[in-house]
Amino acid sequence: MTAMAGGPVIHDPHTLPVDDNVNPYAFSVELKGQWFLQKGKMIAYYGQIDFHGIGHGRLDRLVATNFHSPLHAADWVVAEGQGKLLLADRAYDVNSFDLENGNLTIRSGNLLAFQPGLALKQSIIPGFLTLIGTGKFVAASNGAVHFVEPPIRVDPQALVGWADCPSPCHHYDHGYMRGVLGGLRALTGIGGTSGEEHQFEFVGAGQVLLQSTEVLMPETATGGVPASAGPGVPGAGVPGAPGGQQGQVPRLPGQLGDLQRRFGL
Amino acid sequence: MFRLQGSKVLAVEMTGDAVKAKNGAMVAYDGQMAFKKMSGGGEGIRGMVTRRLTGESMEVMEVKGHGTCYFADRASEINLVRLNGEKLYVEASNLLATDPGLRTGTTFTGLRGASQGNGLFTTTVEGVGQAAITSDGPAIVLRVSAGMPLQVDPGAYVAHTGNLQQHFQTGISWRTVMGEGSGESFQIRFEGEGLVYVQPSERNTIGGQL
Repeated sequence: MTAMAGGPVIHDPHTLPVDDNVNPYAFSVELKGQWFLQKGKMIAYYGQIDFHGIGHGRLDRLVATNFHSPLHAADWVVAEGQGKLLLADRAYDVNSFDLENGNLTIRSGNLLAFQPGLALKQSIIPGFLTLIGTGKFVAASNGAVHFVEPPIRVDPQALVGWADCPSPCHHYDHGYMRGVLGGLRALTGIGGTSGEEHQFEFVGAGQVLLQSTEVLMPETATGGVPASAGPGVPGAGVPGAPGGQQGQVPRLPGQLGDLQRRFGL
Repeated sequence: MFRLQGSKVLAVEMTGDAVKAKNGAMVAYDGQMAFKKMSGGGEGIRGMVTRRLTGESMEVMEVKGHGTCYFADRASEINLVRLNGEKLYVEASNLLATDPGLRTGTTFTGLRGASQGNGLFTTTVEGVGQAAITSDGPAIVLRVSAGMPLQVDPGAYVAHTGNLQQHFQTGISWRTVMGEGSGESFQIRFEGEGLVYVQPSERNTIGGQL
């Protein structure tokens, strides 16, 4: 970005970048066809663009091949048409990434948009989504994103996502609970903990994406498994499972994205 | 006279003249300064009544003196706008400071204002000089010209200048009623010649979830 003398940079549809960042906080998509967007992340657009909610209808086939997360259907839309589209999220850092025949798992609240060359699937880790295929996607992070390679243990709040390596496991440091004093601390909480006793551990070959704060973006609690999922599916049928939706309000049977969520219940 | 110190602090060099600034936005100064609260946005009795009636309230102070005065507002980004006789439309909450050569007023915006949750009226700034507006994240300036209309999410709109017509555009259909809304159902469509300032963030708006 170059600043002209005596004023801010003025963009028009021809000078807006093609599938690149306008500044660290906004991303410009050249739309020719379709993109999946998370609701409410579009800030402005030029051209002829329609936004379709994900559900039954004209886009059935696209949704069937590229969108495999009924729980998130209420949060996503398909942008269709020609033009330049600006995406941003609460003035957080925005970055685009390319996947080539790859897979990447990302915290559901951080994913802003992706090309239909990628298929979105719900990760078996609650609250995360996996993208599989070839294409570009846009993600937001609170502060810049850092890439690190396993083996590594990361703070759960700083984790944005990971690519290619196996899903992480939990790691607890039990040292702080040893001995009489430690046991007391664990039982009563008196004496406090450092808050760093629990980590996610990554092994294998791949990349882990971290953000530079431990402040998570507020996100709707999604990523649980439908209660109808059978035995053997991790998280299925556990009351108050992450996603936390079961157990409070009985859920109506829905198709894509259950009915209550669509109405914000 | 207006100068940015970093991107979140506005420094104003003053030699005996007066600038208008959002009440309480001064963070530091050197030299001699006097601060005077101005009722009704410093627009006289008429302005005062208009602002009270329209709900587009603006708490403004007049800063006068010699030296440098620094302004900031909740660490939001500051954007300088130079006006040469044209009119700047901006929400009162996003206006940080104006040159002495600028006049402020209120104008009717209609549905757009209502969709932003900012009321039906907005603030105008006219004259020759500089104005400082705040935004959540650095504002992006987008040009609108003939045959190149721009659609903006009401929550990301900050300000605009030039000769622009605004239309309120909705994409509400039976799907929205079914709860399959797109979340992008409300847009402001700008046509004409001018510049629109958008921020990389969305305020919560009434139409935001539809």
